Amino acid sequence: MTDLTCVGAIAGSFGVRGEVRLKSFCADPEAIADYAPLTTEDGSRSFTVKITRTIKNGLAARLGGVATKEAADALKGVRLYAPRDRLPSLPDDEFYHADLIGLDVVDTGGTRLGRIRAIFDHGAGDLLEIHGPGLKGGLLLPFTREAVPTVDLAAGRVVADPPPGLIGGEDEPEPGA
Amino acid sequence: MARSVWKGPFVDAYVLKKAEKSRDSGRNEVIKIWSRRSTILPQFVGLTFGVYNGHKHIPVNVTEDMIGQKFGEYSPTRTYYGHAADKKAKRK
Repeated sequence: MTDLTCVGAIAGSFGVRGEVRLKSFCADPEAIADYAPLTTEDGSRSFTVKITRTIKNGLAARLGGVATKEAADALKGVRLYAPRDRLPSLPDDEFYHADLIGLDVVDTGGTRLGRIRAIFDHGAGDLLEIHGPGLKGGLLLPFTREAVPTVDLAAGRVVADPPPGLIGGEDEPEPGA
Repeated sequence: MARSVWKGPFVDAYVLKKAEKSRDSGRNEVIKIWSRRSTILPQFVGLTFGVYNGHKHIPVNVTEDMIGQKFGEYSPTRTYYGHAADKKAKRK
């Protein structure tokens, strides 16, 4: 688990009065201001954030210490980070993607399957994408209590019990093909 | 263009057979299907289908609110990773 979470990036200046064009990576884009002050990746600079309006492909915002268009232009491409502990705590069975990504995945017998690379939600519940040496092209595991009985963030591991038919059987022919 | 009501929803026959077989067996296994065009029927609720997206089978756990949609809607053919930021996942 890293201490900083990337919550947005500066896409350039907006207008001529020192506002910036902000790309938010948050689930609710305007929530980026709630995590302020935001820092750069190395922590050398810190900014307060005041969102001024919604614009095409992002938000217009005024950052603390950025008063001119030239200063805003100079920040183009800078990623903004918030400390992980500034994110609100979640109820049981709810986890931040940032906490789950990178966790080791073991099966119920203790054999290591791989590591969580991403989390998707295609409309039918969350899916963990697991990559490991024995998983060709990765494994998509439904994030349910049956398939993932244990999530141990402190130990950095997840216990998986994949339903039958999920692993293997890739050679099964398509019916009628 | 809307499908005529008198024809009923379209489902590939093999999907129906596989779903029926899985339900009879009582095992909660992933039913691998390639038919993205098939309509999700009420008898599929509670089953998990692996819907092919041209690359792999995406697990789709069918719930009541999916009835009438097509399987392909839940199995995108393109992957976008994006940023984690403050996004949350809920274990159901």
